[in-house]
Amino acid sequence: MSWEDPFDDRPRSGVLEAVRRRWDRIVTPAKPPPPPELPPPGPEPRRAGWTRVLGVSLAAFAIWLVLDAPTLQHNAQVSPVGARRTVALDLLGPLAEVSRGLGLSHVVSIADGIIERHGNRPGNGLGTARVTVKPRVTTTPVPKVVLNRHPTATNPLRVLVLGDSLGIDLGDALVDDLSATGVVQATLDGQVSTGLTRPDYFNWPAELAVDLPRYTPQVIVIMIGANDAQDFPGPPDVLFGTPAWDAIYRGRVDAFMTEATSRGAQVIWVGMPPMQDPTLSAAMQRIDGIVRQAVPNHRGVEFLSSWTVLGTPTGQYSPYLVVAGQEVNVREPDGTHITPGGAQVLSSVVEQVIRAHLGVDLNG
Amino acid sequence: MLFPTIDFAIFFAVAFVASWLLNPYPTYWKLAIIALSYFFYSWWDWRFVFLLLAATVIAHFGALGASRRGSAPKSAKASLVLSLAGLLGLLGYFKYAGFFAVNVDNVLHAMGAGRLVPLVQPTLPVAISFFTFMAISYVVDVYRGRIDNARPIDLAVYLCFFPHLIAGPIVRGEELLPQIRHRRDPGEVDFSRAIWMIMAGVFKKVVISSYVSTAIVQPVFSAPHAHSAPEVIFAAWGYAVQIYCDFSGYTDIAIGLALLLGIRFPVNFDSPYTARNLQDFWRRWHMTLSRWLRDYVYIPLGGNRGSDALVVRNIMLTMVLGGLWHGANWTFVIWGALHGSGQVVGHLRRKARVARALPAVADGTLRSTWQRFWTFQFVCLGWVFFNASSFSNATAVLGRLFTGWGTGSPLITPLLVLTIIGVIEAQFIPAGAFERVQRVFSVQRADVQAGLLGLVLLAITTLGPTGVAPFIYYRF
Repeated sequence: MSWEDPFDDRPRSGVLEAVRRRWDRIVTPAKPPPPPELPPPGPEPRRAGWTRVLGVSLAAFAIWLVLDAPTLQHNAQVSPVGARRTVALDLLGPLAEVSRGLGLSHVVSIADGIIERHGNRPGNGLGTARVTVKPRVTTTPVPKVVLNRHPTATNPLRVLVLGDSLGIDLGDALVDDLSATGVVQATLDGQVSTGLTRPDYFNWPAELAVDLPRYTPQVIVIMIGANDAQDFPGPPDVLFGTPAWDAIYRGRVDAFMTEATSRGAQVIWVGMPPMQDPTLSAAMQRIDGIVRQAVPNHRGVEFLSSWTVLGTPTGQYSPYLVVAGQEVNVREPDGTHITPGGAQVLSSVVEQVIRAHLGVDLNG
Repeated sequence: MLFPTIDFAIFFAVAFVASWLLNPYPTYWKLAIIALSYFFYSWWDWRFVFLLLAATVIAHFGALGASRRGSAPKSAKASLVLSLAGLLGLLGYFKYAGFFAVNVDNVLHAMGAGRLVPLVQPTLPVAISFFTFMAISYVVDVYRGRIDNARPIDLAVYLCFFPHLIAGPIVRGEELLPQIRHRRDPGEVDFSRAIWMIMAGVFKKVVISSYVSTAIVQPVFSAPHAHSAPEVIFAAWGYAVQIYCDFSGYTDIAIGLALLLGIRFPVNFDSPYTARNLQDFWRRWHMTLSRWLRDYVYIPLGGNRGSDALVVRNIMLTMVLGGLWHGANWTFVIWGALHGSGQVVGHLRRKARVARALPAVADGTLRSTWQRFWTFQFVCLGWVFFNASSFSNATAVLGRLFTGWGTGSPLITPLLVLTIIGVIEAQFIPAGAFERVQRVFSVQRADVQAGLLGLVLLAITTLGPTGVAPFIYYRF
C-alpha cells in the first residue's frame, strides 16, 4: 500500500480535480474575485506618473501638517524626554506658529467642539490650549462617605479603581469580580501610559478631583507606577534615580493620597509586580519603596504589595505560577503586563483585603 | 512601525522614492525592497529578522529540492517534508510552545505524574503566522509544479515585501513573483484607487474600530458582570464591526501601499456581513486565508472525497486548525469548531436540498434578509469566543444574556447604534459607487487632489484618538 501524497494535486486521476471543483462550489465564490492583474469592470480611474503621486502626497501631507501643527506640537511636548522629542519640537514649533497666525488651528478647535472632545485625556492629541484640567468641584459641598460594611444590591459598596495599563489589567478583573457579588458598584478609570511623573501628559490629581464627587467611592483601589520610571522634564530635567527625583515623586504620592482620602474613602494602593527586565524591576522596587514610606502618614491608606503575588515566593519574575494546583500564565510575553489569569489572582487578593482588612461583608 | 503613524509615513516616503528611482534596475530594486522590508520588520524587534531570514532559507532549499520531483521524486518529497517541518517547527515553537507546555503539564499533574514539560514563554514574533503560511504555499506550489522555484532574491522579496509582511493578505507565489520579476510602469500608478484604499483603511482603523472598541467592546468583555444583557448584545455586534474595520482596514492600507509601488495584491474582504450563510461568509472574510486552508489543508486531507463522515471530519479539522492558527488559546479552537459545525450543517442541508431537486440555497428577498440576519448573529456568537480572553470569560459574557436584564445600559448611545448600523449597511453599497468616486478624484488637478487629501487626513486625526492601538491581527 502506498502512502498517498497529500500535496500531489496533479490531475492524474481526475479525482482531485473533481474534489477541487466541488469544494470551489461550496467555499469559493460563484464569481471568484478577479485575479490581481485584471482590472475591475467599468472605466478605469486615470493613472498617474509616480512623480505626480509624490508631489500630490507631499503637498497633502504639508497641508495636514500645517493645519494640525498645534496638536502635533502638543503631542511632542508630552512625549518622553529625549532626542526625538527635542527634534519634533524644533520642527513643529515654527509650523504651529504659522498655523496659529493664520488662524488655521481653529479648524481643529471647531471640530473638537463639535464632537465635544475637551478635558483631561491622556496625551490629549489636542492642541496645547486643549489641555484643560477639569476644575475641582467646590461649589456643592459633598458629604464625606462612610464605609458600607454590609452592602446590599440596593445599597451597594461603591468601589473606584484607578490605574495605568497594569492598573487596567487588575481593574478589569476586579470590577468583574466585585460586580459578580451583586452588592458592589465598581468603576474603573484606567488610562494607559500614564502615571504621576508627567501631569502634562495626563493629570491624575485633576482626574481624581472629578472622580470623587462623580462616583463618591467608599473604597479606592490605585495601581499606578509602571510608567513613572522616567525623568521629570525641566528645565532642568530631574533624572530618575536621584534623591531629587525621589523627593518630588514622594510629594506627588502624598498629594494624591491626601486627595483620595479627603472624602473619607479607604484607599488600597497596589504596588507594582516584578518585571522581566531587571532594570525596570529595580525601578519598580524604588517606586514601591517611596509609596510604602508615604503610607503611614495617611490614615485610611493601605499598601498591598503584588511583588510575591505575581512573582515567585522569593520575589523573582515568573511568567507562570501554580494556582490551586494549576499552572497559570500570569504575565504577558512583553514581561511587563498582567494576563487575565494573573489579574484574576491579584484581584482575589484585593477582594480579600476588602473583606478581611476593611471588614466588608461581600456576601450580600 | 504601525501603518497609521508619522514614523511609517516617513519610512514609506523613502521607500516610494527609492522604489521608483530603482525601478529601471531590477536587481537594485529587489535589494532595496529587501533592505527596506527588513528594516521595517526590525522596528519591532531586530532579533526576529533572523527568523524571517531562516524562513526564507528553509523555503528556498525546500523548493530547490521539491522542484526535482520529476527526476528524483523521493528526495523531492523528503525535501518538501523537511522544509514543512522546519517552517511549522518555527511557528510551533514561537506560537504554541507555552500553550502546549501548560496544558500538558496540567494534564500530567492531574494524573499524578508531576510537571514534566519545562515551561517557556517565547515572545511571539509579529507576522510569523503570515510569512510561514506564504513560505509553505511557495514550497508546496513548487512541489506541485504550479510555479517554478524562484531565484533566492525574488523569493526574499516575495516573503518580506513590507506591505503584506505583518498581517497579509496571504499572497501566493503565482500572484506576486511575476510582478517582482517584471518592471512596473512608472507612468501608470493607480493613484486614486490606492489613495482611496489607504484613506478608507486608516479611517476604518483609526476612527471606527478605535471608537467601537473603547465605547462598548472593551468595557463589556473585560468586566461582563458589570454590564447588562443589551450591552452584551451590542458588544458582540460592536466587536463584529471592530474586527472588520480593524482587519479589513489593515489590508486596505496594505493593498493601497502596494498599488503605489506598482504591485497588485488580491482582495481579502468582500462585504462579509452581507453573507447569507457561513460558506458565503468564508468566501468574503479573510479570503486569502480561506483559499490557503482549502488548498493546503482541506484538499490534502481528502476534501470532499469519501463518505459524509470523512467530509465532516475534513471540514471540522480544517476549521479547527484555522481557528488555532489565530492563536494559542482554547477560545480560538472553539471559534473554529463553531464555524466548522455551522459549515457541516450547511453542507449537509444543501446536499439534502439538491437531492430533492431544490436549489442549494433558498432564494427570495425575505428569505435572503432572514438568512443574512441569522448568519450575522451566528458569526457574532463566534466572535464572542474569538475576543474572549478565556473560555470562562466567554461564558461569563454569554451568561449575562440570561442574567443581565433589568439593569441600565448606559453604554448604548445613539452614536454607537448609528456607527454599528452604518458600518453594516455600508457593506451593501455597490462597489461601483466607490469606483465612481475614484474616477472623479483621478481627473482633478493636482492642487485640488492635495487639498482634498490634506483635509481627509485632518478629519481622520481629529476624529481618532491619540495614538493608535496595534491591529488585532498583528498578534496572530
